[in-house]
Amino acid sequence: MKTTVVSAVLATIVTSGISAQELTLGRFFGACEDAGTDTKTSVGEACIIQSIINAASEEIEGVTIDTLPTDWGNYYDQLKASYAGGTPPDVHVMHRHRIPEFAGFGALAEISGDLESVGIDPTNWTDSARAAVSYKDGIYGVPMDLHANLWHINMDLMEKAGLVVDGKPVLPGSPQEMLVHARKLKEATGQDYLAADFAQFPIGVRMVLALMWQQDANIFSDDGTATINSDAGKKAIETVTQLFDAELANPQLNYADSQQAFLNGEVAILVNGTWVVDLYTSEAANEESELSNYYVADFPQLFTEGATWADSHLWAIPSPVKSDEKKYQAALKVLAFINEHNIDWARTGHLAVRQSVLDSDEYAALPHRSEYTATASIARDTPPSTQYGAIQDVLNRELQAIWLTDKPIEAALSDAELEVQSLLDR
Amino acid sequence: MITRRYVWLVTLVSIPAFLWLVPTIWMVSLSFQPNEVLARTTSSTALGLVPIPFTLQNYADLFAYGQTPLWFLNSVIVAVGMTLGVLLVSTTAGYALARLNFPLKRTILAICLIGLMVPEQAVFIPLYSMFADLGWHNSYHALIIPRMAVPIGVFLMMQFFKGIPRDIEEAARIDGIGWLQVFWHIMLPLARPAMMTLAILTFLYAWNDYLWPLVSAQKLEYFTITLGLASIQSNFAQSEGLGRVMASGVIASLPVVIMFIIFQRYVVQAMTVGGSKG
Amino acid sequence: MVQPNSTKRGSLSENQAAFLLLLPFLTVYALFLVYPFFRGIWISLHDWNLLEVAFNPAAKQFVGLSNYERVMWGRNIEWSLFSSPLAQLLGVIALLAAAWFAMRLQLSRVTAIALAIFGILLIVAPGFHPGPEGRWFSPRFWPTVGNTLLFVAWAVPGVTLSALVLAAALDRETRAMGILRTLFFISQVLSVTVVTLIWQIMFSPRQGLIANITEFFGGSPVVWLTDERFAMAAIVIATVWWSLGIAMILFLAGLQDISKDLKEAAELDSAIGVRAFWYITLPNLKRTITLVIVLQIILHFQVFGQSHLMTNGGPNDTTQVLVRYIYQTAFRDSELGRASAMAVFLFVIMGAFSILQFVIGREED
Repeated sequence: MKTTVVSAVLATIVTSGISAQELTLGRFFGACEDAGTDTKTSVGEACIIQSIINAASEEIEGVTIDTLPTDWGNYYDQLKASYAGGTPPDVHVMHRHRIPEFAGFGALAEISGDLESVGIDPTNWTDSARAAVSYKDGIYGVPMDLHANLWHINMDLMEKAGLVVDGKPVLPGSPQEMLVHARKLKEATGQDYLAADFAQFPIGVRMVLALMWQQDANIFSDDGTATINSDAGKKAIETVTQLFDAELANPQLNYADSQQAFLNGEVAILVNGTWVVDLYTSEAANEESELSNYYVADFPQLFTEGATWADSHLWAIPSPVKSDEKKYQAALKVLAFINEHNIDWARTGHLAVRQSVLDSDEYAALPHRSEYTATASIARDTPPSTQYGAIQDVLNRELQAIWLTDKPIEAALSDAELEVQSLLDR
Repeated sequence: MITRRYVWLVTLVSIPAFLWLVPTIWMVSLSFQPNEVLARTTSSTALGLVPIPFTLQNYADLFAYGQTPLWFLNSVIVAVGMTLGVLLVSTTAGYALARLNFPLKRTILAICLIGLMVPEQAVFIPLYSMFADLGWHNSYHALIIPRMAVPIGVFLMMQFFKGIPRDIEEAARIDGIGWLQVFWHIMLPLARPAMMTLAILTFLYAWNDYLWPLVSAQKLEYFTITLGLASIQSNFAQSEGLGRVMASGVIASLPVVIMFIIFQRYVVQAMTVGGSKG
Repeated sequence: MVQPNSTKRGSLSENQAAFLLLLPFLTVYALFLVYPFFRGIWISLHDWNLLEVAFNPAAKQFVGLSNYERVMWGRNIEWSLFSSPLAQLLGVIALLAAAWFAMRLQLSRVTAIALAIFGILLIVAPGFHPGPEGRWFSPRFWPTVGNTLLFVAWAVPGVTLSALVLAAALDRETRAMGILRTLFFISQVLSVTVVTLIWQIMFSPRQGLIANITEFFGGSPVVWLTDERFAMAAIVIATVWWSLGIAMILFLAGLQDISKDLKEAAELDSAIGVRAFWYITLPNLKRTITLVIVLQIILHFQVFGQSHLMTNGGPNDTTQVLVRYIYQTAFRDSELGRASAMAVFLFVIMGAFSILQFVIGREED
């Protein structure tokens, strides 16, 4: 920050009158203050993205970037507040699931005609990535990744339970088999089979969603009818609760606690996103860490088809910026720079969005990459809705009620259905 | 007179007093421990209450990279600005309402009294949308002004001015000194203790306010330390170490704690007056 | 006729001076409190999407009182006497207590009336419930109000009782007592984010001091912040720790007002310790106690930071409180109109308590 401030001040003094364009940039991913400008060596989402931003600020002629607060907690609240206050950041990151809301109200700039001029080739994007930034007939952002839920595995614990064959973990193919595996692991090691954040952030929700999709069901249909209170919903939830009931998993751990349990070797499998692959890889290399044999797997198929929760991060420009041509061009250049560094961002563990990057040797050489190749093809999400955030919140609350407070599954599902329906009806 | 009962009492109350202090001691102690150690255990020595192993690295990092110094400065600017603003509007209006006679005085007084009932939380949304229309968000004045409209200070000052004997200013008036000069040269110096009380109340409020800065400031340049600390909190598990976060907490608390210890008498007075009247 | 002494040296008349002195305050007051207040009511009468209106100011739609209905009412809402027997029984008890105390003149009239109103509300309000096929339009609103009340119901007595006991113990002008008072007061000046920072980690089952201690004694740590049974307790504990100071100071001030003679008389009667506290201190502190309670209610009803930062309102909404719900409705769900309707509701409740506080304050004078 200090350096950006100093360099920003210097830049304004030195080039005042010439043409330094200062851009504000909004993002989450957390803070990394000493990220530097080396995009090849940084580790973890926060530091990798910040190093890319710092490099962009340094390398793009006449553009300096001022990064706004980076916390997750209030990101969209603050982003909306800044839009409504007329001071949105000039460039900002967001999720695919927010596109209907932001683009729908005319908040985002449509950029399809201006991509090639700054060197972005949209035909190089994968189909899912292009779909992620498209709304109606326009393109409203530059995709950065596809991120999905994975199973992160402690191979030492699995080995002890006899759940490793040919160096690969043996994963369940049905809910019943999962329970058998979990019991086996508990007997052999005394540890829990599976952990995830079931208590705070909606990682547990994403797991249940995947299990519903695996039964060809969904929480609501494209025409806006809630369909949570179904047999598939019940089965999906019971798949998870059977582990809690048998005390083979602990629903009370939040994000940090579940991660700590995994790194401490107290749980064999952690359900978490692609974003932690590089972090756990470096932890596994650390001798002091209890996790030494780390493996990544696609979310296994427990029902009739494969599916895992997925979303995309993308970069967008607010529509008001378009009226300032110089600023708009500068913002596009930043988008192009980030697009150019897709391989660096993929180092986090996220799936790249450019076909040329996906096909590259450098990408294939990233650690554990070969272990979750199927994820791209089973990636799913709920149908688009302007109420995405509120719907996730309903599901998170009702599911927590089931596993944290013993609310009957039927009651929770029918409550959730009513609430989601009233959200969809708005 | 020290009786055995007294000694017993002091000992007895010292135990909860120590317990009361433990969370604070723990924060300070954690801020002096290395992050690598804290990632593994927070109870190295004496349940973590003694900072061994010891390091100053967290504070060094804080001042080298963190935005904490900037936020700290912002908090000072906002708190001082708000304090001066509140003092200005409260002393003037308080004096006028306490001592001067003018038409509609009772009505104005009643209208101000009703304002005491409106909590900040009930008007933050319209204020937000109003400031948005004005394009005021992300500025110091957006953080300062809303509090100046709260009439507590006016009532505090009014109460105080009412307690000053009338003969002093009447003597001055007979000498032909104007109302404003009486206010400025005679009444204000007399009101210093009450102003001190009001200043401290306002400063503490400004330093600790969370909801309004949360909706009004989206740019780091205008984050107050309270807001910055909240943003660090939702992050710390991922990027910054526990020790760093705790060091920020210590830095954020230091000025108010020091101020409290220096001005303890006034703070206590402020609480008593502010508490019973406002 | 102008008074001679006010025209000397061309100085202002009394009216002019008053106008000039009042101008700064009345300007900010009118612009930044009175106007926003009415604007809030105006917003609450509209369907107003935060983002949509920002890009298209014409997108707000006048909907009358529908936001209030959407927030507070439901389909097929019925009223019956025995739908929530526990709360209603409590209400009856409060009503009877008010009548009994009022008759025996142990309470001031205002307090008795307040208690009676509280009792009637407790009987009437929980009686509403959705009938067959019915449901609340916002199923979270009343539970959220309930959580807020629960928080107040724990935090206020917690703070008041411990502050009262401490004040009684520390009511001596010695150096040691002064230091102890300072120790208890110091947490009061910390900001809410520091308080939540400390307690979030205190309560953590893996890194927390409390967990460290339980583990030291061989127990298994409690998962405070994500366990339905403990989450509310956790934020109440943090709150009591934080806000005990001001109540203690107010009690100390109240104790000093009790005359020395009274205390000495009591000592002559050898009424010391607990008995003196019960028969002499407590009755004389009655007004201060009421005042502290009302103040704390107003303060804690507006709780936001503790819930927002420590538990995110969870688990399962058990620590979701009104101000956080207003904030979320406005800035997460973009429903500015509905959020404003809730804010008006908050104002009405706060206003009722402010009037109560004002009346009690008047009685004191």
